[in-house]
Amino acid sequence: MTTLLEVKELYKSYKTKGYWYHKKTIDVLKPLSFCIEAYKTLAIIGETGSGKSTLAKLLVGAEMPSGGRIFLNGQTLKNSNFKQKCQHIRIIFQDSSTTLNPSLTILQLLDEPLKLNTELSEKERIELIRITLQKVGLLGDHMNFYPHMFSGGQKQRISLARAIILKPQVIILDEALASLDPSLRAQMINLLLDLQEQMGLAYILISHNLGIVRHFSDELLVLSQGSVVERGKTNDVINNPKHKVTRKLIMTQGLRLHKK
Amino acid sequence: MAREKIYLEEVFPSPFMQHWLIFRKTPVAMIGFACFIFLTILAVFTPVLAPYSPIDGNINMLLLPPAWHDDGNVSFLLGTDELGRDMLSRLMYGSSLTFGLSFVIVIVSLVIGVVIGSLSALTTGIKSSFLNHFLDVILSIPSLLLAIIIVAIIGPSVSNTVGAIILVLIPQFVHVTRYAVKEEFRKDYVLASKLDGASSFRILYYSIFPNIVDRIMSQATLAQSAAILDIATLGFLGLGAQIPLPEWGAILANGLDLFYIAPWTVYLPGLSILFAVVSTNLVGEGIRHALKLRKES
Amino acid sequence: MNLLDIRNLTIELKTTNQNILAVDRVSLSMKEGEVRGLVGESGSGKSLIAQAIIGVLDDKWHVHADRFHWRGVDLLRLSFEERKALLSKDIAMIFQEPMACLDPTTTIGEQLSEAISSKQLSGFFWQKQKQRTSAIIKLLHKVGIKKHTECIKSYPHQLTEALCQRVMIAIALARRPILLIADEPTAAMESVNQGQIFRLLSSLNQLKNMSILLISHDLENITHWANTITVMYSGQFVEAGTTEQISKKPLHPYTKALVDSSPKSNLQLPPKSRLTTLPGSIPILQHLPIGCRLGPRCPRAQQACVKAPNVTSFHGHKVSCHFPMKEIR
Repeated sequence: MTTLLEVKELYKSYKTKGYWYHKKTIDVLKPLSFCIEAYKTLAIIGETGSGKSTLAKLLVGAEMPSGGRIFLNGQTLKNSNFKQKCQHIRIIFQDSSTTLNPSLTILQLLDEPLKLNTELSEKERIELIRITLQKVGLLGDHMNFYPHMFSGGQKQRISLARAIILKPQVIILDEALASLDPSLRAQMINLLLDLQEQMGLAYILISHNLGIVRHFSDELLVLSQGSVVERGKTNDVINNPKHKVTRKLIMTQGLRLHKK
Repeated sequence: MAREKIYLEEVFPSPFMQHWLIFRKTPVAMIGFACFIFLTILAVFTPVLAPYSPIDGNINMLLLPPAWHDDGNVSFLLGTDELGRDMLSRLMYGSSLTFGLSFVIVIVSLVIGVVIGSLSALTTGIKSSFLNHFLDVILSIPSLLLAIIIVAIIGPSVSNTVGAIILVLIPQFVHVTRYAVKEEFRKDYVLASKLDGASSFRILYYSIFPNIVDRIMSQATLAQSAAILDIATLGFLGLGAQIPLPEWGAILANGLDLFYIAPWTVYLPGLSILFAVVSTNLVGEGIRHALKLRKES
Repeated sequence: MNLLDIRNLTIELKTTNQNILAVDRVSLSMKEGEVRGLVGESGSGKSLIAQAIIGVLDDKWHVHADRFHWRGVDLLRLSFEERKALLSKDIAMIFQEPMACLDPTTTIGEQLSEAISSKQLSGFFWQKQKQRTSAIIKLLHKVGIKKHTECIKSYPHQLTEALCQRVMIAIALARRPILLIADEPTAAMESVNQGQIFRLLSSLNQLKNMSILLISHDLENITHWANTITVMYSGQFVEAGTTEQISKKPLHPYTKALVDSSPKSNLQLPPKSRLTTLPGSIPILQHLPIGCRLGPRCPRAQQACVKAPNVTSFHGHKVSCHFPMKEIR
């Protein structure tokens, strides 16, 4: 498969507002590069503060990188051009209750990206929204409801619908499955796998849960304090961790993950 | 796949409807609301409803006490003043001046204030800092004093009063709007909208406004009760509605000299002002109560 | 004697049109020194049971049970003050988001000193102050916080979630309770910290013989740390037994689905294959199914499932199902 998304030397640093001559630069994310292909999932693990969420925000455009470039299908993605980016890279956040506007119906919520980025007529938009809701396992009639009427699992599905409605090529899951109950998580994983097969998506999964990571991802990237300490195919990294950070992460979950 | 509509008997209200349902359940707020509607109808339909003209007096019926007194006359329900004008009609016309004008004032200052507030929330840096601090300085001066100063400079008349009070109420709306919009901007769904490629204006209109409307409404009722009092006070001081306009404050000022012989010319307009302010405040309380309950549930 | 003996607990919510049974005839019992896990997904009513035990449910919930005994004393017959006096000595509870449960305006030291009751101290006024300080330091050491001076002076927002949870446990331990109820203590944490907190609870259980009621939605996690497990679904009792019985031989289809959805059992599956799940989702309070509430989703449901099943027991392994999955061996 050809490379879908390629990231070259992406990094992010902040200047702290210290005293006059004591301004320090904090490197939140040191220069890193990776690439993803369609139908594949890349998992990024690391402890809190290792820069995973920053990486997610940089990829989707919520924050400006201090340097480096992102290529999609060979074309550079300009950082501030949201309209171009959102058609290709979408993100699902962890807390679905705060990412859905409580005063808008689902129809209005899903209509917005369509109105801004496509030229469809109103009837076509409603039809597309109906089809998308059915794809994620909700009813078409749900489009007239407000977000507070849905349970946590359903809200995550709505976030997923918002992510796939523009038919992107890459979806970033920023701890999207962490707050769900185990059975809902399993259903969501099945849904994501189905969509990956149908639409040829590439996923970037950011998670703490090594069980999901092992099941779901093809490649693995381990971040620690902003830099990549280990990378490779998931099975290889989990069965033969080389770096001590990876080993520590696997050990703490190792009680639940017997190595084969 | 299952049928499209499953629970036919359930109605899922929008957030605005939820506020309304909670509001409806508070009896005090509903009473206030009923009085508010009553005053609005009065203000609008006075020319049709009022029995007499507010300006022409009946020379034979000077200083008649209200109908429940021994000397009163039923055809002049609330009595007459020193020029023989019917109190009831005067008060009804006054409602359109005091109450109706306050409504107009609030709407105009709301629109201007919200626009300036949103613009100031969208900009950052020196521009927004300047706007914010400048308007906060104006906020620190009591609104009545400022209105008196403005009217004293440009001259007393009803339209000048209206203009002065609008100017004075704008900073309140700017402040509330700016704070509310800034708070909403930090929320995640606004980020999601931005990532969809929405322009700032679009985010403001579609994502943020539906969430801050209730806060602005509650500020509007506060502003209206302030406006009613300001109009009445300016009328009382002679800086607002000029003779012979039947504005409540002006009627009160007129009646002061005759307080001992004809007390009804004083307490009747006073009671009307009280009635208008209390009902506005009750409606405002009801809105704030509904806001609080909905946030908690 | 059982510490906690609850039989057929029912918690009802009286709304304008109907009575909703948020918890429907659940039985629970705990012995001294036992670590019991109470497992259920959201909407299962497990937090409600914890709150009913402590007695903090407000008036809109109606609690009745055939038996609701704490160390032999019937809790339902006591008045609010008697119950408070009895329970505040013996039961403590820790909650889900520790940073939100601590007072953000006072330092940790002040909050801990509030928790220490003055009856445990003796002596004069100034001596009591010294004793209080040393008691606080001892408590912090017990939960594994070595840098006690720093901790005492800081405010909750300056600490991490895991540290705040340890402080919460320290506050809970101040009264030397017999039972500690932990309501999803590690939901907001990552795995490293989760392990630390559970190890702490486990050591407290072993050293001080303190019983722990661990409430969680993660069956897999609980199987490591609990001796016995009770599983609930949507307010109804599903299954209860020792950890061994539940994880190796689940009798109820729901328990089996929970066990199957954990990562350990998925090791056998090839990567990126579909996981086995129950279809559908958890019913909402307004539309609870009659009879066995798993009915609409259960793969083994039949006509009889319209009636609520009774509890049957196989060697102490209780299950509430019309058609439990009996082992052939």
